[in-house]
Amino acid sequence: MKLPDIAKFTGRRVLLAVPMVLGVAVVNFLLIKAAPGDPAQILVGDYPAPPGYLEQIRHDYGLDQPLAIQLLRYLGEVAQGHLGYSFANRQPVATLILERLGPTLLLTVTALTFASLLGIALGILSARRAGSRIDAAVQVVSLAGYSVPEFWLGQMLILVFAVWLGWLPAQGSASLRSGIAPGMLERMSYLLLPALALSLRYLALIARITRAAMIQALSADYVLAARLRGASETRVVLAHALRNAAAPIVTIIGTNAGFVLAGSALIETVFGWPGIGRLLFTSISQRDTPVMLGILLLVSVTVVLANLITDILHQMLDPRVSGG
Amino acid sequence: MITRRALGLSTLALPFAPRIAHAASGTAILVIDGDPPTLNLGITTDYTAGDVSAKILEGLVWTDRSYTAQPSLATAWTASADGREYRFTLRQGVKWHDGTPFSSADVVFSFSEILTKLHPRASAMLRRVAAEVTAPDAGTVVFKLRDPYAPFLQQLSVFDAPILPKHLYAGTDIAANPFNQKPIGTGPFKFAAWDRGSAITVTRNAEYWAAPKPGLERIVFQIIPQPASRITAMETGDADFAPDFYLPKAGELQLLAAKKLQVRQGVNIPAVYFAMFNTEAGPFTDQRARQAVAMALDRPRMVKQVMNGLATPGFGAFGDGFAWLLDPLSSYAKLYPLDAGKARALLADSGFKNDTKPRLLYDAARPQMVSTANIMRENLRAIGMDIQLVPLERSVLNDRLFAKRDYEIALQSYFSAGDPAIGYHRMYLTDTAHAMQTNPTGYSNKEVDTLLGEAVSEPEQAKRAVIYRKLQQILNVDLPALVLYDEKTTDFASPRLSGVWPGLDPRDQWADVTISP
Amino acid sequence: MRRFTATGTGPAAAALVLAVLFLALLAPFIAGDPFDGGADALLPPLSAGHLLGTDDLGRDIWSQLAYGARVSMLVGVVTAAIGLLIGLAVGATAGFLGGWVDGTLMRIGEFFQTLPRFVLALIAVALFGPGLERVIIVIALLSWPQTARVVRSLFASLRHAAYVDAARVGGMSDFRVVVTEILPNVLAPVIVLGSLDIATAILLEAGLGFFGLGDPDRISWGTMLNGAQQYLRTAWWMAAFPGLAIALTVLGFNLLGDALNHALDPKARRA
Repeated sequence: MKLPDIAKFTGRRVLLAVPMVLGVAVVNFLLIKAAPGDPAQILVGDYPAPPGYLEQIRHDYGLDQPLAIQLLRYLGEVAQGHLGYSFANRQPVATLILERLGPTLLLTVTALTFASLLGIALGILSARRAGSRIDAAVQVVSLAGYSVPEFWLGQMLILVFAVWLGWLPAQGSASLRSGIAPGMLERMSYLLLPALALSLRYLALIARITRAAMIQALSADYVLAARLRGASETRVVLAHALRNAAAPIVTIIGTNAGFVLAGSALIETVFGWPGIGRLLFTSISQRDTPVMLGILLLVSVTVVLANLITDILHQMLDPRVSGG
Repeated sequence: MITRRALGLSTLALPFAPRIAHAASGTAILVIDGDPPTLNLGITTDYTAGDVSAKILEGLVWTDRSYTAQPSLATAWTASADGREYRFTLRQGVKWHDGTPFSSADVVFSFSEILTKLHPRASAMLRRVAAEVTAPDAGTVVFKLRDPYAPFLQQLSVFDAPILPKHLYAGTDIAANPFNQKPIGTGPFKFAAWDRGSAITVTRNAEYWAAPKPGLERIVFQIIPQPASRITAMETGDADFAPDFYLPKAGELQLLAAKKLQVRQGVNIPAVYFAMFNTEAGPFTDQRARQAVAMALDRPRMVKQVMNGLATPGFGAFGDGFAWLLDPLSSYAKLYPLDAGKARALLADSGFKNDTKPRLLYDAARPQMVSTANIMRENLRAIGMDIQLVPLERSVLNDRLFAKRDYEIALQSYFSAGDPAIGYHRMYLTDTAHAMQTNPTGYSNKEVDTLLGEAVSEPEQAKRAVIYRKLQQILNVDLPALVLYDEKTTDFASPRLSGVWPGLDPRDQWADVTISP
Repeated sequence: MRRFTATGTGPAAAALVLAVLFLALLAPFIAGDPFDGGADALLPPLSAGHLLGTDDLGRDIWSQLAYGARVSMLVGVVTAAIGLLIGLAVGATAGFLGGWVDGTLMRIGEFFQTLPRFVLALIAVALFGPGLERVIIVIALLSWPQTARVVRSLFASLRHAAYVDAARVGGMSDFRVVVTEILPNVLAPVIVLGSLDIATAILLEAGLGFFGLGDPDRISWGTMLNGAQQYLRTAWWMAAFPGLAIALTVLGFNLLGDALNHALDPKARRA
């Protein structure tokens, strides 16, 4: 596809994305404002506070201004990259989120990469032997993987591998005593179970889609032609069929990349992983509004971005589908 | 960079061997459950904030295990006979962590500008007794109270009255002062780093006034969000110290059974879990309905299943944490033995009709409340009362319960903070202002109010006991609040630590602690 | 029908789903009171009188499982139904009318799809309070776009089909055309989507329950898992059974959807 076409397509998509993000920001804001409760009270803790103190807190965070002004203030700040100031942590939300981003990215990228690689491999295997017992087995296993609640899987993995067998650690991202830089192997031992639990669902999904796309691709004319020309089976599968099946596979990986950030919330809770999902949970129980808004916004923007990139990639891989 | 040796060592740590302690010598790892909102103890009573800052800041005194005040920033004190004047001699040669000398000006400033205005717990007391703080010289502080206050000394610990540096806080917006996140104190440890979501570190204060103490080089407060993981950390030795507050009761039993750790049980600042009734509207305006509930609830079962046996069933209006005030003759055991049949009859007498479900409000985030509520539902169903469980997020609960009083029954727990006058009186004092964390039952009894006032100002414990017995005789019958159980705290420490728990509060007095390698 | 029973999975899935359905319907007859606790707390499976053991308050796990099935089925079916209805209505309108109506509705649908479902449900329930109705509404509101998209594309292609034109020419009103000609052809994929939606709804509800945001007046499989967290080491059965139940139920609905897809969609012919 020619470069100016791609640029035009990208430009159009980006323009469409902006009102999406704006809409998300407004929805987030309205949602949380509409809910009951008093955030100022949380900061004070458990004891009766002197009356002036609560007012002071409210004033500090602009909670006493009219709604429209609060919304405009919020949108303006978001545009500048300020996601607000966290009530409970007394830190800019952006800083708070950035600090937790690393562990979450480590977990989710690992899980997605593993799921993609293994999923594609299984999908190809299954497609090649469509109708065989291996195929049936892979299909059922992937459906099972798609059906199991990942937090329960996490609990069971902890039970078996950490509690009963004692092979792997049950919580956290590194041993408490490791200090600055835990060894790579130690890091991996902590990463293994949560990444496994997180990846299963996507593994199943990717395997299914790959299988379907590959079956279709393998029955196409050009594959037949390549075979007749005497190309090796591997070449046929990988160079020809896979390349043409790539579009839907990339789509499914891309659309899930956006959501995997959100999906890690459950896993992070079960494993005590110090990432954004965990932050979301604590911010909810603390009624830390700016942090909640910040995370929702981040996840939504990630989804929009992921969809954008996926669409562009899809367009480049499969120009037959009309864009926009 | 991964050298071969590092790789080798790491493989040793994995997968079948327990983790190797890479810690520098003299580092103790303490468990906490999350980032505290601030580290300035003058403006918060948050438990974790207290945990970290009690190593950095100090009060005039500290409270030992027999509830006696011991010298800290004050070396000696006298009280006038009428309890209206206290004179403290301050310690000489104390320096703030930034080198500035400590003086009485800091004490006066802390009390008048910070504690009286902003401390959630102490400000109420300081205002009520209209305390006037003056410093006749750099080494002396005098408190003049309008009314005597029996537990005054108990409330001068670092948790209720930390001394903060005037030179860093004067003229600033106290609540927004950056030193709230990196406190400067006079204590044995200095603030070093705060890695949010992960850990807070404090290091040894080489210029501490009690040098060569402290015994530790460093304390790392490790955040472990999952309660069960904290148990694991203590069990595997990954962490060295965890007070009861952070530990789930079921896990505590596990740690006790493993018998690998030092344990301190039953020495604690009492706290009660109780149910309160709305006496102004609904079915519990009638005293008999409340008493019926008292007879229906299986408190020993709650102790067993909710608290895993680590509590004592409710004794009376003030629990059983303060042995000197107990009145066995009017206790719950005497007045309300478990009897579903009698309870049913009493309930019917009160005119209760099971047509609208009374609502039971409680904090959804606290598992003890959830389990207690479930047992209550079962117990009350057995006497013909169907209740509706309403778990609420804490700020919503506070709003519904205290501000709006929109409930029939509610579950709460109050911390005594070292004396019934500090933490328990608020359960029964008339409260018309709908203040938070006080008495939303609507119960208002002039005689009780008067007696409570006397109990606060009477300095002699024996005489106070008489007053409290009279109070229990009234309150155990009126039952605006029904104490369910007293928490029995269990704190744990690694066998490598010595010198732990000198004070009443496990977070207090860490200058004496050492760790063996 | 033959295609449905041809592969082994179709009947197996149906059996699984029916089993859970019966469990839910017959719960009062085959299980005790799930809220009835007692002194026998934390009994392991195969104890006297408690086949699957008891929890920390002495409540029978089997009874909780049976009544939990009710919640899961209720939430699953009602949520999927509402979501399907909305999706059907929106998709039909967009697909049939086309033009700017189509464009706008699809944009709105895209927007809803961008919102992260679980995170949003978490926040909504945490803020507005738990309760079965709220959970159902929140999940349903977030699941209609998928159905709408499928329905829309079907309507868009079918509206120009020969027999539709014939009916129009014959004088039928647009509305009747939709209902009598197009709708029956859309039913098949919608049923498939329904089955998958039920599966997703059950998983979402379980997730909310696990986070402690379930309905407190009901025992659900998700809330059972929440209570089991503390006792993972000492009472593994509190976590194992409800999770297994969720997995099997969701698997059943997913398999069913798949099998229905094979059976009802003539184009989906796989080996």
